Amino acid sequence: MLRRIWAVMQKELIQIVRDRRTLFIMVSMPMIQLFLFGYAINMSVDHIPMVVVDQSPDAASRAYVDTLVTSGFFDVVGYLSSEADVVQAIDQGRAQAGIVIPPGFAADVVSPGSGRAQVLLLVDGSDLFTSQSAYNAATLIAEVHAADVLMARIERSGRAAGRQELLPLDVRVRILYNPNLDDLWFLIPGMTAMLLQIQTIALTAMSIVRERERGNIEQILVTPIRSAELMLGKMMPAALIVFINLLTILAVGVFWFEVPFQGNFWLFLWLAFLYVFSGLGLGLLISTVSQNQKQAQQLIGVISLVGILLAGFIFPRYTMPPLIRVAGNLFPLTYFVPIAQGIITKGVGIEFLWEQVAALLVYVAMVLVLAVRLFKPALD
Amino acid sequence: MLRSLKRFGALVRKEMTQTLRDRRTLAIVLIMPLIELLLFAYAVDITVDHIPTAVADMSLDAESRALVQALTVSGYFDVAVYLENEAQVVQAIDEGRARAGLVIPPGFGASIERGEGQALVLLDGSDSFTVQSGYTAALAIAQARSLDLLVQQAGRMGVAAAVQSLPITTSTRVLYNPNMDDLVFIVPALAAMLLQILAVNLTAMAVARERELGTIEQLLITPIRPMELMVSKMIPNVLISAIGLLTVTLVGTFWFGVPFQGNPWLFAWLSLLFIVSGLALGLLISTVSQTQHQAQQISMLLFMISLLLTGFLYPRAPMPPLVQFVGNLIPLTYFIRLARGVITKGVGLSFLWTDVLALGFYATLMMVLAAASFKKRLD
Repeated sequence: MLRRIWAVMQKELIQIVRDRRTLFIMVSMPMIQLFLFGYAINMSVDHIPMVVVDQSPDAASRAYVDTLVTSGFFDVVGYLSSEADVVQAIDQGRAQAGIVIPPGFAADVVSPGSGRAQVLLLVDGSDLFTSQSAYNAATLIAEVHAADVLMARIERSGRAAGRQELLPLDVRVRILYNPNLDDLWFLIPGMTAMLLQIQTIALTAMSIVRERERGNIEQILVTPIRSAELMLGKMMPAALIVFINLLTILAVGVFWFEVPFQGNFWLFLWLAFLYVFSGLGLGLLISTVSQNQKQAQQLIGVISLVGILLAGFIFPRYTMPPLIRVAGNLFPLTYFVPIAQGIITKGVGIEFLWEQVAALLVYVAMVLVLAVRLFKPALD
Repeated sequence: MLRSLKRFGALVRKEMTQTLRDRRTLAIVLIMPLIELLLFAYAVDITVDHIPTAVADMSLDAESRALVQALTVSGYFDVAVYLENEAQVVQAIDEGRARAGLVIPPGFGASIERGEGQALVLLDGSDSFTVQSGYTAALAIAQARSLDLLVQQAGRMGVAAAVQSLPITTSTRVLYNPNMDDLVFIVPALAAMLLQILAVNLTAMAVARERELGTIEQLLITPIRPMELMVSKMIPNVLISAIGLLTVTLVGTFWFGVPFQGNPWLFAWLSLLFIVSGLALGLLISTVSQTQHQAQQISMLLFMISLLLTGFLYPRAPMPPLVQFVGNLIPLTYFIRLARGVITKGVGLSFLWTDVLALGFYATLMMVLAAASFKKRLD
């Protein structure tokens, strides 16, 4: 039995090594992705291009605009004369935010009795991250500025002692595990999980469907090999390639991008090994329902996209509606993302992760059994 | 000329028959965008709220309760559990039971009276969206609370009877999407994204498949020209993609209620141009791949790049020039701006013509490259 599995493995390995171009693509793809994303992803947007309409140009309005600019969130790209101009500039895409300071702003700010000065901030709502950043930043900055003005007014009235320099409540935010909000630290765990899945599924599914499409499967059927043996033989070389990729990603992530690996490396490797089998099993399942490589490719596409979106890699799972969360449970990525984040970023051990590990174990067992069952009739 | 047309007609018939005969692929291809749109639209919640929060309130006085309440009333934080101290809060986040924590030290009320109240918010830094939302929300809420207190104190000191609120108010208006509705952000770009995946996948394997199955030899002995072959492989797929586009747009507009501000006909024409550029890109992948497996790997890479570099999720402005350039190699980059422009902003060609030109140029270039690389392979 071992000899038969070994024979299939040899055949697969020779096939993989001989097809140099595919091998090259498979091994270099994760690196390309890592480098692109490593330099690309930046979710906190700053230097948002902003246009200004200042209908009462004076010290007070300049101070207000200065506060926004010095925060680094906004860059003034032009001064316009009316609100309609601002809307047009945003329509054209020249600016993504605009600020309109009405006439009489200074008088309202300076004289205590005259009520409140109104400012209008316009934000481009067609781009998600920009509008969120602009909205939040502007609100916070504007409030701080308003508080400063209030403070100055209190001081001038001479009733407050010097201690009113600080606001009465000081809330500090500490971010665990990733204090500098480094985007790559978020990315690396999810990316290892994602690449492991996409590649394992694609490798197994395509390799079996190709045999079928080319008619080679007939030749394999006349040998004494059993379907489980054939599957194992096909899975091993795929697992090997994927593991090499895993190690390169981690090495580049840790040594080049300096993402700290907080937890136990060996624990991670063992769990990754377990996880690889879930992808291989899914790939086998796809191969049993696909008649040709085109179908397999479409199915792989769906599973990858849906898996990425529902697994909590990009969007957190606890905000999803229950039905969608259940759908996410169908993908092994869902169990492995918390494991990878837990070990790499948080540095926790198996005692906090055992639920995910148990779920993954059950998943792998189920997928493999199902694949073997379905694979047999597909051979006939 | 007439003979060329006849040849071309025969080829298109062949491609049509092939496409229609493979029922299972056709079904997958037609249903896929719909399922993806539904799942995605329901799954994506970019403004993260109701973050499960562990609270360690060591004061238990009126002020501390007011702060906890300010956080929960905002809707951003839900108290998941009350704990004793900071260490327990950190542990709850370690375990994943909570994503955020609030630690209020003893004697909170008294220290606020003295003007030096302090509280600590802890956030789970392993999850980027939670951190982003939680960070700004916590700061904003705390600041609002703080300013309330300040105004109260100022009032008590009798600074001015008129000081009932801050001297400047900034009101924010978000154009095109006043309620910051996630779907309004996502649906136009998602429709574009799904359309590109569909178009590229449809043709990515077309030529590689003929090559792998050996049927390319049969095509080669006919007098067919490379460009004719490319165009004929596109035609059935233009129809499929157009159906996909229609489904996604209709579901987005009528089911999810995303307002379609601009001109639908303009959008339809631009989409056609985009579909052609996607199909042409797929053909190029197909002609440079030796096997279907290679084609699949390349289109997968393309998909990942599209997800991250085209402005679909992450804004392009902060990306370094080289990465922006890579994004420019993908038609989605141009079309996302067009889709957002027409659907969300409701602007016309006068504002969009640069991207339209770029897309037209791109589609032509890809067709020529695909035909040329096919020709090279023929020899």
